[in-house]
Amino acid sequence: MAEEDKSAELLKEKANNYFKDKDYDNAIKYYSEAVEANPTNAVYYSNRSLAYLRTECYGYALADATKALEIDKNYIKGYYRRATSNMALGKFKAALKDYETVVKVRPNDKDAKMKYQECNKIVKQKAFEKAIASDEIKKSVVDSLDIENMTIEDEYTGPKLEDGKVTAKFMNDMVEWFKDQKKIHRKCAYQILISAKDLLSKLPSLVEITLKETEKITICGDTHGQFYDLLHIFNLNGLPSPANPYLFNGDFVDRGSFSLEVILTLFGYKLLYPDCFFLLRGNHETDNMNQMYGFEGEIKAKYTAQMFQLFSEVFQWLPLCQCISGKVLVMHGGLFSEDGVTLDDLRKIERNRQPPDSGPMCDLLWSDPQPQNGRSVSKRGVSCQFGPDVTERFLTENKLDFIIRSHEVKPEGYEVTHNGKCITVFSAPNYCDQMGNKGAYIHLRGSDLKPEFHQFTAVPHPNVKPMAYANSLMQMGMM
Amino acid sequence: MAARQPFTDSDTADEAVRATCDDATTCKRFASSKGYWKDPYIQYFVRSVGERKAPEINRGYYARVRGVNNLLDKFVRKTDCNCQIINLGAGLDTTFWRLKDENLMPKKYFEVDFPTVVARKIHNIKTKPPLSKPLIETHSSDSLLLDGHSLDSDRYCIIGLDLRDVVTLDEKLRRFQLNPELPTLLLSECVLVYMNPAQSSKLLHWAAETFHTAMFINYEQANMVDRFGQVMVENLRRRQCNLAGVEACRSLDSQKERFLQTGWEHADALDMMTVYGLLPQDDLARIESLEFLDEKELLQQLLQHYCICWANKDKLRLGLSQLSF
Repeated sequence: MAEEDKSAELLKEKANNYFKDKDYDNAIKYYSEAVEANPTNAVYYSNRSLAYLRTECYGYALADATKALEIDKNYIKGYYRRATSNMALGKFKAALKDYETVVKVRPNDKDAKMKYQECNKIVKQKAFEKAIASDEIKKSVVDSLDIENMTIEDEYTGPKLEDGKVTAKFMNDMVEWFKDQKKIHRKCAYQILISAKDLLSKLPSLVEITLKETEKITICGDTHGQFYDLLHIFNLNGLPSPANPYLFNGDFVDRGSFSLEVILTLFGYKLLYPDCFFLLRGNHETDNMNQMYGFEGEIKAKYTAQMFQLFSEVFQWLPLCQCISGKVLVMHGGLFSEDGVTLDDLRKIERNRQPPDSGPMCDLLWSDPQPQNGRSVSKRGVSCQFGPDVTERFLTENKLDFIIRSHEVKPEGYEVTHNGKCITVFSAPNYCDQMGNKGAYIHLRGSDLKPEFHQFTAVPHPNVKPMAYANSLMQMGMM
Repeated sequence: MAARQPFTDSDTADEAVRATCDDATTCKRFASSKGYWKDPYIQYFVRSVGERKAPEINRGYYARVRGVNNLLDKFVRKTDCNCQIINLGAGLDTTFWRLKDENLMPKKYFEVDFPTVVARKIHNIKTKPPLSKPLIETHSSDSLLLDGHSLDSDRYCIIGLDLRDVVTLDEKLRRFQLNPELPTLLLSECVLVYMNPAQSSKLLHWAAETFHTAMFINYEQANMVDRFGQVMVENLRRRQCNLAGVEACRSLDSQKERFLQTGWEHADALDMMTVYGLLPQDDLARIESLEFLDEKELLQQLLQHYCICWANKDKLRLGLSQLSF
């Protein structure tokens, strides 16, 4: 062995010892020196890759594993390392390919087989979520829960459902409990979710209601986990009741710190007043958004991953749009990427799924109005932006007067565009604790169906970090 | 001297300012680990990647890091590395190590921050070979000059002091071989805003007086007079973090004015939304695909309330005014 090789080996040994002692910084240092002394040895890169994995430097781990394989494409450990790095980076398909390679070369390696199977499971699961999955293929969390035999400990002094039913008293008690930042028992949460799923699944994708002359409905936009602002709306505008119907137009969760409290309150009222309390799905009632913007993290922290799974199932049954008195159409996002969509098309949407990448279901949750005529590529990278002419044509063809949607934060809490035919309402004031915007809600009277706007500002809330990422309040100022 | 009472208001305020060093570092740690940019050294200052940060925060830091580095690198190249860099309020910044890797080292790189921050940084440097090795390699003798609050080597020097005390700043920098004749780049990222206008003016004035050929890059808030700005001030106040210098952050013009009025010849400023659009498009496309941003408005608002302002004096006629995005 040449002199450099010998010293490189010594450096590697040194690094290995540091690694055994869990001193990863020094391990990396000495692997790096070994690499410098002998840059043609795949093992050094591979070992350093593992050390990087331990210090969560997944990008570097991947780079090292790749380099190791460039040097020696038969180096099995290199495939292992690369697969692990890709797993950590969420690139499951890429990881699977490498595990497959290892299994082919080492058919008797139990560990390799196990890792392959685990990774394969994840890839398949993601494929299912992407594909048009019907209920038969995907098992519901409901089937694996045994609610009847779930017991509530004596120590629990919080609200409980009465005979498994939501009552007005329960709702008041639950809201008070939440205000004090307390959790309801998981059995109660599950009961609410199971009943909500049951109720929502019987609704059409396009809900149709008619307001009597003397009736009015309050339409709210995004609330995004801002529980104390939601309570403020109830203070200003009255609690939900048969005489005081509400429609919440999606994006109930994510970004705000109290998404759980918001959604359980909204589901609770839906169960209590099914015919005068309405919920529509927003783009944040989806797995991708929940994973990134806090809701999944919040549920996992406060309850379990299984409960988040159930939330996900319930979200899939939320109706997509609502037609009021045959004249006003409400949806979270907006209108469509193509002309010719009818109310009948919307009724027929099979919504029990994650939204597809395109099509009417996607547009309902994702599109935005634009001032100019025609359609444009969306600033969001999904769906489209639609102009006043698109709105006009759609309304005319479907004999509607105007649409109400949400989805975009507005400084005044609402905005009227497209000559009054496209109204945006947003009900999360001072969004993310930083935008300084007002919130708004709309009164729609059965007598004239003319929107009446009410604005409100943010109220204080306990300083709790959202679950999936540190609060913008803390990073505010990019200091 | 009268005995100081423990935990005065200014102590709390200073402590809050020091804490912003951690905010910046953890955000940079997270963003770089996600692949927004490469920083192999930051892990030696903060081990764990930490909690997830919102996508708009990651993109904001990307713009900040790329924007500042863009101007800084141009300055170093313009002077053929025959220059000095002084990073005021440097925190746990890793630029020195980056410049060494990229063969863009100035003649000497100075960092200044509060003593407790500097003490931490020195400790990290001392105990992590990837940080100390570059210093030792570029130092002529066997030992570095080191005490609790300062470290000096041939090419890198870090000093603990209060930036509001310009007399001490000048004295200590000169003691560690600051050369006022060399073209000098001064850099401050979210530093001036924590001093009152009189204090920051003194600092800018000192710099203009001391160096005849120099550039000052200032990254901090701008356009603060609207609702968003008020909310930011309020949020920070609740953390006992006072933006004592927010007056100069009224607009891009006020940011430029503060330089023109303290002896600088020329000043430019761009808000970060503009800077974001001027960054290399292909890398921008790459980072935008790293994480999906649900509400572009949040990023826009954030970027519009920060700016990079850069000023110069150019006795040597190096053409410093040409340096831009």
